[in-house]
Amino acid sequence: MKRVVITGRGVVSALGSDLSSLMEGLSGGKSAVKAMPDWEGYKGLRSLLGAPAELQNEKEIPRKARRSMGRISLFGVEAAEQAIRDGKVDETLLTSNRFGCVMGSTMGGAGDFLEAFSAILRNYDISELSSMSFFKCLSHTVTMNVAQYLGIKGYVMAASAACASSLQALGLGYELIRSGRQDALLCGGAEELHPIVTGTFDILYATSTHFNDTPSLSPRPFDKKRDGLVCGEGAGVLLLEEYDHAIHRDAPIYGEVIGYSTCGSGAHVSQSSREGMRSCMKDALKDAQLNPENVDYVSAHATATLQGDQAEAAAIADVFGDQVPVSSLKGYIGHTLGASGAIELAASLEMIAQSIIYPTLNLDNIDPQCNQIAHVREPLKRDITVVVKNCFAFGGINAVLIIRKLNN
Amino acid sequence: MDEEQLKKLVNEVFEESFETNTEHLKADAMIFEDIGLDSLDIVDLVVALQKKFKVQIRDDERIRNIRTLGDIYQFVINLKDEGHIPEA
Repeated sequence: MKRVVITGRGVVSALGSDLSSLMEGLSGGKSAVKAMPDWEGYKGLRSLLGAPAELQNEKEIPRKARRSMGRISLFGVEAAEQAIRDGKVDETLLTSNRFGCVMGSTMGGAGDFLEAFSAILRNYDISELSSMSFFKCLSHTVTMNVAQYLGIKGYVMAASAACASSLQALGLGYELIRSGRQDALLCGGAEELHPIVTGTFDILYATSTHFNDTPSLSPRPFDKKRDGLVCGEGAGVLLLEEYDHAIHRDAPIYGEVIGYSTCGSGAHVSQSSREGMRSCMKDALKDAQLNPENVDYVSAHATATLQGDQAEAAAIADVFGDQVPVSSLKGYIGHTLGASGAIELAASLEMIAQSIIYPTLNLDNIDPQCNQIAHVREPLKRDITVVVKNCFAFGGINAVLIIRKLNN
Repeated sequence: MDEEQLKKLVNEVFEESFETNTEHLKADAMIFEDIGLDSLDIVDLVVALQKKFKVQIRDDERIRNIRTLGDIYQFVINLKDEGHIPEA
C-alpha cells in the first residue's frame, strides 16, 4: 500500500476566505454566525441564523467558465485554486490523467434549484430556463465545475452523502492513491447557505430557534442549552498525494492520511446511531493500525442537535473514554454540511502545526448527557500527532478519517 | 418603440447576459466569432430576448439564420412589425 500525504489546503468559510482567516477566527474565539432577517419571508422557517461566507474576485473567472457555476461552485473553485497554489501544482501535473478530483456537497446548488423550479412552476413552462440551470443545480455541480475549470483529466467523481460528503471525498481520494490508481487528487466539498437548506433541517426540529436575537450564542455543541444546528457555507479542499510523488517534486507536506472508514448505521434516516458512529471510529482506527490511546484529538461532528451530540459523545466515550480531547468547530462557522469534513480537517492540520487544540465555542455548561468525554473548553497547548475527524450524516451515513503529523 | 429603441434593448441583452463590452456591439459583428458566444449561449440569448421583448421565439425558424448582431436587430424589428412585440 502506498502512503498518502496532504500537500495543499484551501478553505473558504464564514470566518474568511482562506485558511489563515479561519485559524485567526478560531484563535480569537470568534463566531461568524449572523442573523438572517431576509429569511423571514419564508413561512414556517423558525431558524433565522446563518454563517455566510463571502465570494472573492469571482468575476476574474472567465464568463464561459463562470456561467455554469452557482454560488456553491464558486466557493469550491476558490478553495481548489488555493489548494493548488498552496501545493505548488504545475499545469503538467494538474492536467495529467494521474491527477483527479473528488468533491462533495449535500444537494448541489440550492439557490439555483429554487430559481430553476420557480421559473418552471410559474406557468409549468420550461421555456424560461437558462441553458445553465441544469449545470448550476446538479448534485455534482461542484465537482464538475472544479474539474472543468482546472482542466482535470484524471479520476473525477462527486460524493453526495449530506454532512459526510467531503470526508467521503477525502476517503475515496485516500483509497485511490493508496491503491496506486492516482498520484494526486483534489478532494473536499462545498456548500452554500440558503433558507431552503436551513429549512430542510428546520422542518425536522433540528435547527437552532431560540437564539435569533443573539446569533453568536448559537450553535452550542454539547452545551446544556443547545437547541439545534446553524447552517454555514464555504468550501474546503485538500490536495492528497502519494508520498514519494510529493517528495520527488518537493511539495510541502502538511500531514499524512493514515486511516479511513465509512459505513451505514442501518438504523434510521435521521436519528444518530451511537453504534454506527462507534463502529465507524473503530474501523478507522483499525485501518490506521492504531489504538484509541494513540489519538491526541477528536474533531467531533457535533452540530448542536439534541440527539446527535448526545449519541456522538456516547460513541466517542465508548471508543476513547474520557482522556482524548474533543472539540467541535460548529460554534465558530456553523455547520458547513457537505464541506464541513474538509474545512475542519484543514483546521485540524493547522492545529497540529501550531500544537494547539481550539475549544468548542459556546460550550458554557456541558450537558450531563454529553459529559463522559474530555471536552476542550479553553485553547489547549500540546503536541498533537494523531487527529480523528468525524462526520455523521443524515441517511445514517458515517465517515471517519484519521491524519497524523508526518512521520518520516 | 422605434428601431433605435429596439436595437438598444438588444444591446442590453448582450451586456446583461453575456457581459459584452459596448464597443463590440456593432451591427456587422459576428455573434460567434466576434462577440464570442457559443451554442449554449444561443439558448440563453433566446430566453433573454423572450424576457426583454415579452415574445415567444423559441420555435421561430428564423433564429437558425442569425449570424450577426444586425441579423438580431432585423429579427426583432420584424417581430415588432408583425405585431408580436407588445408596446411598452
